Order: sequence, then C-alpha cells, then structure tokens
Amino acid sequence: MATQSEYVIETEGLKKSFGGQLAVDGVDLRVPRGSAFGYLGPNGAGKTTLIRMLLGLTRPSAGTMRVLGRPMPKERSLALARVGAIVEEPGFHKHLSGRENLWVAAAAREPAAHLRIDTVLEQVGLADRADDRVSTYSQGMRQRLGIARCLLSDPEVLILDEPTNGLDPGGIQEFRALVRSWIAEGRTIVLSSHLLDEVEKICDHVAIVDRGKIVAQGSLSELSTGDDGAITIGCDEPHKALGAIDGNGSLREVEETAAGLRVLVKPDASLEKVAAELNTRLVGAGIAVHRLEPSHVSLEHRFLEITRRLGENS
Amino acid sequence: MTTSESAVQVPKPPRPLFRLERAELLKLRKSLGVWVPTAILTLGLIIIMYTAVEIFHLSNSTKYGPAGGTLNFERALFLMGQIAGMIAAALVGAAAGTQDLSSNVFRDLVSTGRSRTRLFLARIPGGLAMLLPFVAAAYALAAVLSVVLAGGLATPGVTLFVKAGLYVLFSASIVYVIALGLGSLVGSRAATISILIAYLLPVQAILRNISVLGRARDGLLSVAVERLSPLPPPDPHDAVSMSLATSLIVLAIWVAVLGGLGLWRTRARDA
Repeated sequence: MATQSEYVIETEGLKKSFGGQLAVDGVDLRVPRGSAFGYLGPNGAGKTTLIRMLLGLTRPSAGTMRVLGRPMPKERSLALARVGAIVEEPGFHKHLSGRENLWVAAAAREPAAHLRIDTVLEQVGLADRADDRVSTYSQGMRQRLGIARCLLSDPEVLILDEPTNGLDPGGIQEFRALVRSWIAEGRTIVLSSHLLDEVEKICDHVAIVDRGKIVAQGSLSELSTGDDGAITIGCDEPHKALGAIDGNGSLREVEETAAGLRVLVKPDASLEKVAAELNTRLVGAGIAVHRLEPSHVSLEHRFLEITRRLGENS
Repeated sequence: MTTSESAVQVPKPPRPLFRLERAELLKLRKSLGVWVPTAILTLGLIIIMYTAVEIFHLSNSTKYGPAGGTLNFERALFLMGQIAGMIAAALVGAAAGTQDLSSNVFRDLVSTGRSRTRLFLARIPGGLAMLLPFVAAAYALAAVLSVVLAGGLATPGVTLFVKAGLYVLFSASIVYVIALGLGSLVGSRAATISILIAYLLPVQAILRNISVLGRARDGLLSVAVERLSPLPPPDPHDAVSMSLATSLIVLAIWVAVLGGLGLWRTRARDA
C-alpha cells in the first residue's frame, strides 16, 4: 500500500552503468509533491538515463527508487498509472492520425483515458488537425501531441525530458502557460533540461546534475541564497576602469568585457551600495559610465560555476 | 424541458476488453505497407490464378480444362497453405513484432507501466485479426470459384472444404506467431522478412531434399505444416513422412521457441 509521501519521486544511491561507464552515479533525488522540479545538467550528464530508470525503460545497476510512494520496478504498473512522460523525442505511428495515436496510447491506460482524448487535443491546440496523419505534422505539432499523450492518464506527475525541443517561440510560451496550469491543478512537474533559462522560468525546485551526480539540490531560492551579486558596467576605457576600481574590498572577481567590466560582488556586501561606490570612483577617474546594472547571479551562472569547479577538480 | 433535452449524453469508455488487441489491429490495418501486400498475396493470387486458368480455358477449351474443379482447388490450397499464405503471415507477423520499436512508440507504451508481457501477447490476436480475414476471404473465393468455374469437372466435397479451410487458417496462424516472435527478437522488420522468406522458400526446399539429414528433416516447418494438409503431397517422392502427433509437437516447438524468444526480448530490452 502506498503512503501519501511528501515526495512523489525518491531515489537512493541510484546507479546505472553502460559497459563500465557510470551514466548515473549514486543519485539521491527527492521531488516534492506539487512542485515544478527542474533536473538541470549539460548534455551527457545522465538526465535521460535517470528518467528512463524512473519509467521502467531500463533497469538500474544499483540503488532504489519510489514513484508516488511505490517501489520501482516492483510495483511498476501501479506507480506509473498516474505518471505521464515525454522521453527524448516522442515517437508516433506516422501512418496513423494524431487521434488514432492517442487511441493506441489510451489502450495501454485505464479505460477512462479514451474519454480524455478530445479534451487533451483541445488543450494542446491540435483539435483541428487531430484526424490528419502524423506524417504531415511539423516537429512542434508532434511535440504537442506528445504532451497530449502525457495527459491521457490524468497524471499526478508529469516527467518531461527536453519538452520544448522543436517548439517555436509561440509554442514555448504556450507550453509554459500549460505547465503553470498543471502546477495550479496540483500536479507535480519534473522538467529535465539543459536550457537553464527554461528551468529558471518554470521551476521552483532544482537539482543540478553533472557527470551522473547531483551536485546541488533544493528550492530555487535556496540555491540562489548566498550567491554573489554581479554588476555589469558599461564604460569607456575598460582597462583604465579596471585600475580605478582596484582595491575595493567588496569585489570578488573583476572581468574585462568588450563593453566594459563585469564584477562579482561578495555575498555579504550590498549590491546597490557597491554599485554606487564604483560609479563614484569611475566618474572620479574621468571615465564615462553609460551603464551600471546590478543583478543577482542567475541560476545559469551558478550552474556553470558548479560544473566548471567540478571540472577543474577532477 | 423535454426528456430528450434533459438527457445528457455522457460518453462511455470503450469496452474494457481487448483494447490493446484492437490497438494492434488498428496499427496494422491502417498501414498500406502491411495490408496491400497481404491482400495481393491472398486474394490477389487467387484471383490471378483462377483468371489465368479460365482465360486459357476460354481461349482453347480442348487443350485447357475449366478453372474450377478439385484439381485447381488443390493447387490453390497448396499456394495458400504453403507458399503465399505463409509469406503473407510472415509479413504481418514481422510488422506486428517491430512496428512499436521502429516508431519509438514501444518506449511510450512501456512508460505507462503496462506489463511488457501483456503488450507482447496483445499482438497475437491483434495481428491474427488482421491476417485471418484476408486468408479466409481468399480461401472462400477459391472455394466458390472451384465450384462456379468447374464446368463438367468434379468439385471438392464439403469435408474437404472444411478441412482445407481449417488447414490454411492454422498454417497462417502458426507462421504469424513465428514471425511475430522473430520480429520482436530481432527488432528489424526488413531483417525478419528476409530471414523468413529465405527460410520458407529456398533454404527449406534445399534442406528437405538432403536425404542424409534423415529424420532431422521432421523439424522443418514446411514438413510439419504439410502433414496437416488434407491433400496428398504434390510430389510423393519429395515427402518426408511423419505422424500427426510429431507434426503438432514440431509446430508447438517452433511456436514456443520463437514466440518465447520474442517475449523474452520484449521483456528484457531497454525501451
């Protein structure tokens, strides 16, 4: 009997190796119920392999996993009955129509899944083309059909692997709106992506994965807390500007860019105060400042910093 | 408000039984690459055969007899039971065993949590529901034409019609399951069809004529299938005799081994 756990997905020491090469290396993952969870990592980090294990598509080499409180793969059919997923590029029978493909998928689900076909086609904006063959669909339409297929099971958890691949900007906007509506309905979203911006815009919880290992995990605000701030300075004579701000004890790192400088500010310093102080110094040194933009370090920077640091240590 | 206005049409789920099997049938019957060759190899060949013989007969009735009658029916039966019907079964079985894999739909079906064994087993009735109507229609056509075009020739009796009908359906079903298993094992439709056609046509014919193989030839699919035919073998010197029980055991082994390998691969493969 499954318990209503705080986490919809829990893994412990999950490993998967291919011919001695570890693709997933001791992953302990906890996806909170009702969250939009980003599984973020560069290409080849082992994101898809983890998802494939969670969905019973491949067996783990070691470790345990639970989906919706049920052990996998032992109670696979019960665990996955309320999970919808897109793994890599969704596949379809191209000689069938979109509606027929959903019919085929619904046949593997509970009988009520057939009743949801029209609704999900409407939701993803494919109702007008539902009876056309999938071979005539664009890649974006196939992606939408994949999303529709996910929804057939009225899922508690949606696992989406690079879901915006092939979507045009309008489609991406619509997709984000859909995800927000799913979250509002209380569903849990697991979004695997190498697109940091995508994760930042959609998710409230993140795990950063690199070379098969989770290197950071928590809420977006937790991962951002304690981060350095950054100030982008647009000015003439960047080299001279570098000398002018030298010696400021609040700065951790200064980098010369084509349009000026980019400085990283220590976490304990006030970003706004440091910006004002730098401006005073630069103007005092006779340097024309045309841009001064304080910002918190984005998840992207944090992500690159973590993965770069790991790369240097290895 | 009238009764009809108040009656809300609540859509009902489709019948819970055989949904997976009907999905398999849908995939096969909508595929031109499956049903067109199947139609040609079953109905098409019977139409061509009887039309050709009838044209010969009409053009020179002293030299060529009518297209109907028992002898031509037996020829049609041989064509369906041991050549074209088997190839049609191999085509449908290979498609059923590989179409989810080649389209990457297998991954999505497995991720529903549905048992892989159930997914595999659904392909058996699903594919047979596609294949057997063609075989049955072709057989029925042959039976009708053998009577209608008989002229003054003797026509097959009811017993032969029934036995022959069961035989063509059974032999097609056996080859279908073997092709399904091989397709699920190999994962490639082209490779499966190539292997089966090569085996069913030249390889088997060569093996059965190598007398040094002796009783080992009992294991050949065509020998076991032929034993079930209600007709005597077309070439008595070519026949490898075996009992009915042996023939059924041989066919059961073929089905169990290749069907079992297909099931094992479906369960074990990374989706």
